[in-house]
Amino acid sequence: MSASAVFVLDLKGKVLICRNYKGDVDMSEIDHFFTLLMQQEEEGLICPVMSRGNVHFLWIKHNNLYLVAITNKNSNACLVYAFLYKLVEVFTEYFKELEEESIQDNFVVVYELLDELMDFGFPQTTDSKILQEYITQEGNKLEVAKTKVPTTVTNAVSWRSEGIKYKKNEVFIDVIESINVLVNANGSVMSSDIVGSVKLKTMLSGMPELRLGLNDRALFALTGRDKGKSVTMEDVKFHQCVRLSRFESDRTISFIPPDGESELMSYRINTHVKPLIWIESVIEKFSHSRVEIMVKAKGQFKKQSVANNVEVRVPVPSDADSPKFKTSTGHAKYVPEKNLVVWSIKSFPGGKEFLMRAHFGLPSVENAEAEGKPPITVKFEIPYFTVSGIQVRYMKIIEKSGYQALPWVRYITQSGDYQLRTNI
Amino acid sequence: MPYFGSEETVKELKRALSNPNVQADRLRYKNYITRVIRYMTQGLDVSSLFMDMVKASATVDIVQKKLVYLYMCTYASDKPDLALLAINTLRKDCADPNPMVRGLALRNMCNFRMPGITEYIEQPIVAGLRDKASYVRRVAVMGCAKMHSLQPNIEIDASIVNELYALLRDPDPVVVVNCLRALEEILKDEGGVVINKPIAHHLLNRMKDLDSWGQSEVLTFLLRYRPRSDDELFDILSLLDAFLQSAHAHVAVATLRLFLHLATAHPAVQADALQHTSGALLTMCGSISRELRFAGLCHVQQVMRSQPGLFAPHYKRFFCAYSEPSYIKFRKMEILVELVNDENVTLVLEELRSYCTDVSPELAQAAIAAIGRIARTYSEKCLDILTGLLALKQEHITSAVIQTFRDLVWFCPQSTAAVCQTVEACVDCPQDSEAKQALLWLLGEHGEQISSAPYVLEVYIDGLKTELSSSVKMELLTAAVKMFLCRPAETQDMLGRLLHHCIEEESDMCVRDRALLYHRLLQQGVEQTRKVVMGPKSDPSMSVLTGHQQEPVSQWVSNFNTLGPLSAPDLCIQTPLISSPEQPSNNAEEELLPVSKDVSPSIPKDDQEELNLYLGPPLSHESFERTWLDLEVLHRETLSYTRPRTTPDTLQAALQLVKIQTLAFTPGDTLPWKAYLYTRGNRTLILAELLQEDPDSEGRLVVSVKQQPPNQHALRGFVSILSSVLQTLNVDS
Repeated sequence: MSASAVFVLDLKGKVLICRNYKGDVDMSEIDHFFTLLMQQEEEGLICPVMSRGNVHFLWIKHNNLYLVAITNKNSNACLVYAFLYKLVEVFTEYFKELEEESIQDNFVVVYELLDELMDFGFPQTTDSKILQEYITQEGNKLEVAKTKVPTTVTNAVSWRSEGIKYKKNEVFIDVIESINVLVNANGSVMSSDIVGSVKLKTMLSGMPELRLGLNDRALFALTGRDKGKSVTMEDVKFHQCVRLSRFESDRTISFIPPDGESELMSYRINTHVKPLIWIESVIEKFSHSRVEIMVKAKGQFKKQSVANNVEVRVPVPSDADSPKFKTSTGHAKYVPEKNLVVWSIKSFPGGKEFLMRAHFGLPSVENAEAEGKPPITVKFEIPYFTVSGIQVRYMKIIEKSGYQALPWVRYITQSGDYQLRTNI
Repeated sequence: MPYFGSEETVKELKRALSNPNVQADRLRYKNYITRVIRYMTQGLDVSSLFMDMVKASATVDIVQKKLVYLYMCTYASDKPDLALLAINTLRKDCADPNPMVRGLALRNMCNFRMPGITEYIEQPIVAGLRDKASYVRRVAVMGCAKMHSLQPNIEIDASIVNELYALLRDPDPVVVVNCLRALEEILKDEGGVVINKPIAHHLLNRMKDLDSWGQSEVLTFLLRYRPRSDDELFDILSLLDAFLQSAHAHVAVATLRLFLHLATAHPAVQADALQHTSGALLTMCGSISRELRFAGLCHVQQVMRSQPGLFAPHYKRFFCAYSEPSYIKFRKMEILVELVNDENVTLVLEELRSYCTDVSPELAQAAIAAIGRIARTYSEKCLDILTGLLALKQEHITSAVIQTFRDLVWFCPQSTAAVCQTVEACVDCPQDSEAKQALLWLLGEHGEQISSAPYVLEVYIDGLKTELSSSVKMELLTAAVKMFLCRPAETQDMLGRLLHHCIEEESDMCVRDRALLYHRLLQQGVEQTRKVVMGPKSDPSMSVLTGHQQEPVSQWVSNFNTLGPLSAPDLCIQTPLISSPEQPSNNAEEELLPVSKDVSPSIPKDDQEELNLYLGPPLSHESFERTWLDLEVLHRETLSYTRPRTTPDTLQAALQLVKIQTLAFTPGDTLPWKAYLYTRGNRTLILAELLQEDPDSEGRLVVSVKQQPPNQHALRGFVSILSSVLQTLNVDS
């Protein structure tokens, strides 16, 4: 791995905070980062790895910040990116929003965190739950008992501390499936897949043993035994806590859960799903005068289900003006800064069809800049429903103190990367 | 960054920090320290406060301690003598009952990058290695590596190395991984940490306790281990199997690398592992993080070098999304080109077609070039699309299409007629010099198939004065000469004007020289010129058929899962239009080269030079016969053995190895047995005949050699190569 130093830069390339972990790369090398970046941007060939001499910059952009790791070795690139994203994740959990201001307001904590996250270029303690046990934003005094080394740091079960106590023992299970769809301009589905995940919010005392039972169909799909039906899951992944050997031998998912929120498992289904919300659009652009947009949305799911908070985002030319809308349900809004019409429908029952018409004026002087053809995107959420048919049959919770705990299960299908291309 | 009044600020801080009243009020004191750190972060030089800050380290407030330590680490190298004063406080903290404080002090002490620090930190580090708190041990282990990096030339302390090896058995997983990392740094010159059988198996068994970073790194260290037997190998592989499906992409990829590395001798296992991980790689390609997506794509490209078909069923996952940055789109297009097959070609082309009108010209051009690559196999479909694109009359698109046409004609001569027809219809001339060159090349090379070619050329010749690019002018010269050779009547006049202008008025020396060259060449007569300018070319269309061989995994596995695949020049820097090293040469000099070996005797010969045989352009039967009849036998030799009793194929292959081409031979055992061979070397063409008249021992093999032009040195070399090949074949059979 070995990142020699990590920098946080603002949008102008000014270093906000840096940490020199190894001392084998001149810290002034970072001055070249922004020049290189600008140069590549001009050539239209931006690349997340940039090299100058034998120094390599690996960078990511988050909000108005660049996070840059520099190294002079042939490091493992995936690992470095994963670490930079881990930084983002940890900082976000600390400051809610990671941006220039939160870095400047909290630089003391940032320094503290950078110190614990990595030593000599190697990641050390990166779990934000564990970090939060001994680095707090209020700062702490030595007298406070808190500053003892948290047990998790040394624990055999590295993802859970001992001695957790809750008055009411509960565990919430969320089964979430995101649909990614790409439909091309003439209405054929180019690609579609489902990314599913089982998320836990554990509020249980002590060191509980959990066993999760899924329905057979899901289990067969998970292991690819189910040859008859079309659903097979690809790339099933479990949280570190799940005993894989146990799953291999008798298909039980047993584990000691991390405290609080975590993702227990994730999977991907690469199958041709019918797009749950189908969009037909006619966008007519009359140069120098107007744009007429007609969008039809159809719910292609069971009548009993309802899609909530549906948002259909239709792109409009950047120089459009004087919007007029007409909708059969919901309401449409023009968002000029994003060049979008957002049509929101609070609840969208299955099998129904709705219509929106929009009219925009265009200036007589044509916009000289060529514009891309952004796709129509759709956001929605369908509760109590999963496309794959995965279901939680039971959740057994065993703890040596013998308390009773309640599991709660929730199913949601939502839109992921849901794009329909248009032909304006 | 020099601030206005920065000196004042520092002075004020200094006053405040040394004020006993402030020191008494803990909150105020800490506030001032925070301000010092803030100024330091902003780039203000606050090193003059060093003494006051050292004093502030004696506190019970752990955050204040951390800040002061950070300050000291930053300025220690500037103020080594003052930093030494702080060492005592730090050493005292290293003995604090609180492990947090011990670890903190030890870590920061090791971070002081200044000479002479080692003697102070060695003892606390050694103590730290035996600390009962794992937090301190982790820090101490890293400390060993830091200590070594401060004094890389000093002899390695064997006792520390031994202690670190012993700590590989530590119950804390991070200590274990840190030990590996530290040993690797310390033993760098000796080839890094040694992974023997007990260590390897110990690490394998600890894998599941480690965090994902640790897993990834241990997997990399395990690359160094070679299992003794196949049984052991398969034990290891089955232990690792679960990690191929790890939730962390980097662990899955690291496992894959180890799998590929360990199973070098078992291609089936390798293929199986690739199949297994393809899902993880695909998920990585769809990751939310663009950078990981990019890394995933780069790795997919690497895997495809050995298993081109692996991702073919998933080609739709490589369609570009609107919001993706162009570095991802470029990679996806490269992958799509590789994945095209009979079933998906229509959809892939349709998709690529939609990228051709992207707002970004770079992207559009890359998409057009991608279609051009596919055209080498599916010419008809692609030509339709490319022709359709010309109708859009977008300058950057037209330019890219014409360049693609040029490449296509070169790689795929059967598409020439269709391309010429399209070029004929494309009236508007491209504006950028790349495209102009491409168009001129097409006109010159295939002028006889484009009826309007001379008139297009004339436009360029008339506009010569306003042309800025010298490469366009050179291309124009070449094209005009070629055109003159096939359609002299229409071109003669304009060629004359062009040459005159380039010789008399041109300021660029290269262009002038080129024009002079053509001028003199034409003075030699049209036939001579034709020989030079229209001489045979290498045939790159062969490489299309034979290219894209599946590489063995070992070709790329060594830099798999490193920075390599992301920045490999053969993949990333590849500019969209240069798709192969065998680009048609825009440069007439290059075109002349292979031919000049045959015809220009003026080039000085060096008889002493080594003989390098090469095949060069293939010789047809007719031209062989003609040359053979024209020439005298220069050398005849009776060899001391009969013809090889091997199959004709073996003979042919053996001779091919030494770059001698077999043109024809008598089939079977019929006598007299004859074989005709040819080769080129040292600027001469060598023709040879092997002849055996009688089957019995008297009938030795007779070699007759003819040569054009004569070159004794090459001839002797050829005969000795030939006879040694025949001798070897005889011994073998």
